[in-house]
Amino acid sequence: MNAKILTFSSHGDRTLLEYDPETADMEEVNRMIAEYEVKTGAQPFDMATGERLEKVTREQNEVLMVHPIAGG
Amino acid sequence: MAHFLQRGICMEPAILSVIAFFVLIVWRFVFAGSRRGPLARAIAPQQQRHNHLLEGGLHISDPGSVAVIADNQLENNAGGLHRLDRKDPAKRYLQRIAALTGATQMSNSYVLDVGKMRFRVRHRHVSRLRDVTDPGCALEETCFYPAYKGMPKAEEIATALLQLMSNPALFDRWAAQSGAFKADGQAFRPAQ
Repeated sequence: MNAKILTFSSHGDRTLLEYDPETADMEEVNRMIAEYEVKTGAQPFDMATGERLEKVTREQNEVLMVHPIAGG
Repeated sequence: MAHFLQRGICMEPAILSVIAFFVLIVWRFVFAGSRRGPLARAIAPQQQRHNHLLEGGLHISDPGSVAVIADNQLENNAGGLHRLDRKDPAKRYLQRIAALTGATQMSNSYVLDVGKMRFRVRHRHVSRLRDVTDPGCALEETCFYPAYKGMPKAEEIATALLQLMSNPALFDRWAAQSGAFKADGQAFRPAQ
């Protein structure tokens, strides 16, 4: 079963990255997540626990990139 | 008699013409039928193949019509799917995230308890009771909006629920109206 990194977007839920958690280079996965965070401010949350993740590991099968919120 | 013979001579070509006419008609039908046979036999396998291709569901004999109908259905379905993709999955995610965070739906808002705090989140609006055990605790309210524009309402609420459960102090950042903040509380300035 593949793992997914996804985000909410105006075009529906968008899968940013799909990979095999058993064989994927997790450093590369985390590097891509970090790049996405720099661009959008979104941070990863584990969709199994609802907790924010510092780093994605092979344990996570579904990770949601959560965008910043502003007050107003 | 001569008159009769003259008339008989006159009648012969007319009869011959009529017979020739009928022969021509009969010949045309027979000849045309014999030519149509192979043509019909040539078309038959094509129709059978076409019918075989359509066995899966559509039984429309005119391939042109099939193409048009199929295109329309695809367009309509694509539109329908697009609408479903945008709305229903957003609601499903909100339900999943409400379950993950332990939030409960109250009408059009979600009540989330984090320690002693109680948040009530609805679209772009959140209120907080700092201490739910303190009956004299004031209700604070603020508005919020995602830095990423165009997100469905349900996903905006889901985003706020996840962030407040992870970092309830974000409420104060939002109330201060000092820009956008990441889930960990760091300020976010989008790159120009």
